Order: sequence, then structure tokens, then C-alpha cells
Amino acid sequence: MDEKFIIPKKFKTISYALIGIGVLAFVIGFFTDAQRTWANYLLNNYYFVSIAIGAAFFIGIQYIAQAGWSAAFKRIPEAMTAYLPFAALFFLLLFFGMHSLYHWSHEGIAETDELIAHKQPYLNIPFFFVRVIVFFGLWILMTRLIRKISIKEDLEGGLAYFHTSERYSKILIFIIAITFTLFAVDMLMSLEVHWFSTLYAAKSFISAFYHGATIITLIAIILHQMGYLKMLNNSHLHDFSRYIFMLAIIWGYFNFSQFMLIWYGNIPEETSFYVHRWHGAFKILFFANILINWFLPFIVLMPRKTSRSKPVLVPVILILMAGQYMELYYDIWPAVLHEAKFGLLEIGAFLGYLGLFALVTATALTKANLVPRNHPYLEESVYHHF
Amino acid sequence: MYKTEIRGKLISGDKSLGQISQDILRPIDAKTPRWWYAAMTMSLALFGWGLYCKYITVSQGIGTWGVNNTVAWGWEIVNFVWWIGIGHAGTAFSIFLLILRQKWRTAINRAAEAMTVVAVLCASLFPLLHMGRPWLFFFIFPYPNTRGPLWVNFNSPLFWDFVAISAYMLISASFWYFGMVPDFATIRDTTKSKIKKAIYGFFAFGWVGSSKEWLRYEGLSFVLGGIAAVLVVSVHSIVSTDFAVSVEPGWHTTIFPPYFVVGAIFSGFAMVLTLVTLMRKLYKMEDFITDSHVDAVCRILVFISLIMGTAYITEIFMAWYSGSEYEMYTFFKNRITGEYALQFWGMFTFNAIIPQLFWFKKVRSKLWVVFIISLLINWGMWFERFNIVVTSLSRDYLPANWAEYHPTWVEIGFFTGTIGMFAAGVLLFFRYIPMIAISEIKSVSKYDKPMPEPKIEHHD
Repeated sequence: MDEKFIIPKKFKTISYALIGIGVLAFVIGFFTDAQRTWANYLLNNYYFVSIAIGAAFFIGIQYIAQAGWSAAFKRIPEAMTAYLPFAALFFLLLFFGMHSLYHWSHEGIAETDELIAHKQPYLNIPFFFVRVIVFFGLWILMTRLIRKISIKEDLEGGLAYFHTSERYSKILIFIIAITFTLFAVDMLMSLEVHWFSTLYAAKSFISAFYHGATIITLIAIILHQMGYLKMLNNSHLHDFSRYIFMLAIIWGYFNFSQFMLIWYGNIPEETSFYVHRWHGAFKILFFANILINWFLPFIVLMPRKTSRSKPVLVPVILILMAGQYMELYYDIWPAVLHEAKFGLLEIGAFLGYLGLFALVTATALTKANLVPRNHPYLEESVYHHF
Repeated sequence: MYKTEIRGKLISGDKSLGQISQDILRPIDAKTPRWWYAAMTMSLALFGWGLYCKYITVSQGIGTWGVNNTVAWGWEIVNFVWWIGIGHAGTAFSIFLLILRQKWRTAINRAAEAMTVVAVLCASLFPLLHMGRPWLFFFIFPYPNTRGPLWVNFNSPLFWDFVAISAYMLISASFWYFGMVPDFATIRDTTKSKIKKAIYGFFAFGWVGSSKEWLRYEGLSFVLGGIAAVLVVSVHSIVSTDFAVSVEPGWHTTIFPPYFVVGAIFSGFAMVLTLVTLMRKLYKMEDFITDSHVDAVCRILVFISLIMGTAYITEIFMAWYSGSEYEMYTFFKNRITGEYALQFWGMFTFNAIIPQLFWFKKVRSKLWVVFIISLLINWGMWFERFNIVVTSLSRDYLPANWAEYHPTWVEIGFFTGTIGMFAAGVLLFFRYIPMIAISEIKSVSKYDKPMPEPKIEHHD
């Protein structure tokens, strides 16, 4: 059960190249169209932090639900949370782009806009960043603690570490439930400062968990293909795809609930969000979103056969990666730029972040044994079969 | 392999398969205990009182209730939603845990499903009598008729509700019934009484337990389970749209569908916990309903409670964040403070704060504490429904229309009557039906024995 992950040279080179492309895209972007570049900055930051938080939540939920099957793959979500400190830094740098993104951050806007004046006690720049610091502080602290205990368990064994992990998982879940919902309000919902929806935060949370779970699956498959994690069998794949399937349904359900109730109520304060997006490319995106994030995984992963097959799962995961991007694009672009611009800047920026995330996760994977050696459920996980 | 040292036992006492059948069927063949008669008398008395109140309602009209033009939905809708919520757990419990391969469900699922059927029956009485002229209830069926023809309003969530609940009732009752067929056959084959043999034999559909029958049986369970899983979510989502598609402050909010579904599962699981702890004590089922079963239900409850708490806080926060004066008035002047503050804080404390105690293993392992908390959750969920239904209606946009609502004795009697009905139903279930699914619990009887050498499959 002892195996160490070694990053292939090619992987490193590609990652650095991608980061290079990203930096280049941002540098050129800031000189040519700063506002659009800030929109890209926000989208990609949120994209990858949501995946890391989804992974953290995944670890926590496995512990509190006493799930055994996933124990062997625990290092993957752990490694993904190593991205959080980087994300923290990026979100702090958002300070310089506040005015380009958030309408409410403009000087003197509160004097002319009554609603923004009402929200000012919550939506103001100092408090916004206090929240960023507190949220990231808590997330990094808790994920670090869990990681530390997990590695100690590897070296020393014994049930004590397992119980501590469970306790930390409870705290982590408690924290994520409260903080990530507010985080989604701050980062995304406040872009459309006059609009509100109670389900929005929960939907963002589910999106994070959804796409976090898909990336965990993708990494597990890639590692397996590279010759690591030999124990990955069809039953594990089936359980991973059940997560994707289930979360696709919940996402579809939340998306429908939010839209249907706003449409039925037909109150201008609420419909503004959709009215604003009911034309051109955004109208197409509205339907494409449903098609990709709900319908496709729902149909494709329903049969037992497809949900156990790597040739089916990998394309679904790749499409879902685009799906998360599309959803964020649909939320952010109309609020910031009012038109659907998509070009080399967007692609370059995304690739840069992708390279960074891949490199950070891979590096974190090398730091510990790939299989949690003394995890009490390890045997159950290795021989998982149903 | 199932690690007992971490997760705890699923069956204690190292029983043989025959012993399991005997232990579970013992109460059915034993003499009816005295407490059962006492409890049944009390339930029937409550039920009878409820019948009298229903008689008053039908013969004299809705005017005997405390509802008025402003608060047109009073205790009846509160109780309807409450009972439907409880009725959710049975199926949610059985199906979701079946899909998630949670083997510990086998000790509890039968009780949960039985409870569902009774609870849904209780729930359906409220909208029926709320119609005022319940003998015309068939008007809600959409069929070509001679009244115009006058069609139902397909845009109305009240109609969706009717469709969803009748479908749910059908499916959950069949799921429960078909699950019992093998157990009825066991009673037929083991009982000494000729009458019982005939009756249970009739309901067992000639089950002999051949492998072909089991194959079909398992197929059927999965199909019914798959349908019911969707219905669980759809029923309460639709109940929530009864409120959420309006433009009433406090009702019209996008979080309502999942919030209602989660709340329903919350109250239902709490009720399952109440019943299961009672069952374990009264019928000495400690070997089957072990501490780890109680522990597992508590774990689910605390997680759901966290969701509930987050939802409450989200709602309050959004009421402020929205900047809408009506939303703010509803939440800050009419719920958190004001005339109905007691119900609000009761809801918040019982649903979001007290269940957090379940994070601690010490609390989860004390049966009487668990029992009390489960009752408090049920109470808290009743407060939640009251909080939603009455506060929003009593003070909406036009102050000229503001009104207060107090239930009359008829309404209270109606409600206690359904509690009697529920208790009587559960008591009948305890007495005449194997309260644990024998055939299913046998599947976990050897769960902690080493498995044969696993084969790692390469096909498929």
C-alpha cells in the first residue's frame, strides 16, 4: 500500500507553460481591457476556490457519514485543499479590482441609491475584506488540521486520529455551511447589487460540492491511468459517478426552483436578474446551462453500465468543467460587462489558473503517501464491491 | 467488510436466522400486553373526540374555526404540512438509505414506512375538510364533466399538491405493503392459530420464497424505490409552492422548495426516532435496534439541523439584504419580535440549536435524552409551519386587513384527533405486523463475519 506520487517532468513543464500563458493573458488584458480582465480574474478565482472547498466538504462528509468506500482516495481531496492559501492571496488582490467589478463599491453611490445605502453596513470594502480574511483563515486552518492528523495517522496508526479527524470534520462542515454561503453572496450575488434570492447561496454551495466531486473523480482516474491507485475498480467509479449524478439532480432542482418561483411571482425586483439575461448569447447560455449541468449527467450517468465506465465518465467530467465555467460566466458577465465577450483572454486566463491548480494539487500529492496507510476503513475501501 | 469496532453492531447476540424470526414475531403471537390496551383506549378516545370535532366542522361549517378573511389558513394548513412532513420520512428513510446501501436501515425501515402511511392519511384529512363541502371533493379531479365543463386550475399549486400527494400515497403504501409480503408468509408458516394462518396467508399472495420470487421482489423494490425517491422531493417541493408562488412577504422566497423538503425529512426522521426508541424499550428490541442505529439517526438529524439553521439564518439575512420593507417587516417585526415571537424562537431553538447537541457522542448514546430531543424537534417543526402560515397572513401589505388568529376548540380537537389516529395506527402496526422487516434484517445478520476472498472484477 506504499506508493509515492512523482510528478512527471512533462506535467511540470506543461503546468508552467499554462501558468505562463495565464500571466501573459492577464498582463495583456490589464493593458487593453481592464474591466473584462477583472471579470476573468473573479471568475477563475471563484471557479477554483469552489472546487477546493467542494473537496474539503467531500472529506468532511465522508467522515461524518462513516463512509468506507472512499478511504483509499482521501489524499486527492486533501491535496486539492492545498490550493486554498493561493486562492486567499488572489482574493486579497481583488482589492485593486473592486471598482471595476462591484457597483456598490463606488464612491458616493450610497447617496444616490437608497438600496445600496441600506446594504452599506454589510457591503463596504473594509468589511468585505475582513470577511475574506476570516473565511479563508478558517478554511485554511481547518483543512490544514485535517491534513496534519491524516499524515500523523499514516505514520503512527491507531483509532485516536480517526476520531480526531471526525471531530475536525464536524467543525469544518459547520464552518463551511455558514461561511461559504456568505462568500457566494459577497462574490457573486452582490455583483447584481439590487437583486436577491435566498436560494442563490445554497445553489452556489451545491455547485461547489458538485464540481469539487467531479474533479476528485477526474484526478482519481488520471492517477489510476498513470499506474497509481491500482485498487480503483468499477464499484469505486460507480460511487464517484453517483456523487456526480446526485449533485447534478440537486443542482437542476435548485436552478429550477429559483427560476420558476421568480418567474411565477413576477416581481420586478426579482425578475431583473433574468430579464437582464434574457437576450442574445445569455439566453442561449441559460438553456445550455440546464442542458450541460443537469440534463447531460442525469441521462448519461443513469444506467449502471455507463456510470462504471471511464470512457464515459471522463468526457462527462470535462464537459462539466466547462459547465461550471458557463454558469459563472452567466452570472458574472452580464453584471460586469453587460455583453458576452469571449476570446483568447478568457481562454488564456482559465488555462493559467488550471496550470496553477494542477501544479499545486500534484505537488501536495507528492508530499504524502498516496494511500492513507492506517485509515481504519482502508480494507473496506480496497475491497469495495457491489 | 463492515468494521464493527468503529461503527458499532447492527445485531447483537449472535443469533441464528431462525432465532431472528422468532424474536421479531414473538409479540404478534404473545398475549397483548396491558399497556397496549391502555394506550389504545387513550388513542381511540382522542380519535373519537376528533371525530366529534369533524362532525361539528361539517355540520356547522368552517365558521366554527378561528380562521378569518385575513388569516384564511390556520391550524389546519399548519397541521397538514406538519403531518405530510412526518409522512415523508418513512419513504425517505427507506429509499434513500436503500439507494445509499446503508445496511442499518433494515432494523428501522418497516416502522418508518408504516408511519408514513398513517401520517399521510392524517394529513389528507385537513385539506379535505378545509374545502368546506368535503362531499364535493371530487371536483378536484380533472375530467370532462357536466359542470360547464369546469376544469380545475392547472396553474394552481393546490392542484399540483393534490396530484403529488395522491401519487405519493399510492407509491409509499405499495412499497410498504410489498415489503411485508415475505414476512406475512413467515407468519403464515410459523403461527399456530388457524385464523391467523388464513388471514396472513391471504395477504402473503402465496409467497413461497423461491429464488425467482426474490428476484422479482428485489426488482420491484428498486423500481418502486426509484419512483418514491422522486416523489419524496416533489411532494414537499410542491407543498412549498402553495406558499412560494404567491407574492406574500415571508412566503415568496426561492429557498422554499429545498427548505421544505429538508424540513420534512427532518421532522420525519425525528418521528422515526421517537417511535423506534419507544419500540426498542416497549418490545425489548435492543438486539435489533442497537445503539449504533440510534447513533446513525442522530447523526443524520444533526446534519439536517445544521441545514435548517443555515436556512433560517439565510432567510433572515436575505430579508435584511433585500432591502424590501415588507420582507423586513415580516421577519423583524412579525416573527423575531411581535405577537408570534414565541413560535419563532421555539422553532429556532428546537430545530436549529438543541439538535446540535447530537454532535456529542455522550448525548447520542443516552436514549432518554435522544427521545426528548426527538420530541422537541417534532414540536419545533410544528412551530415552523405555524410561523410560516400564520405570521405572513396576519400582517401583509394592507394594514387595514391585519387580523389576529386564535384556534377554536374545534380546531384543537381536530388536531388532537389526528394525533389519536396516528397513535392508534402505530399501535395496530406494533401489534399485528412484524415491526422489523425480518427478511431484510437477515441480510445483515452475518455482516461482521469475514467475507469470502474478494474477486476484483475486470469485465463489465
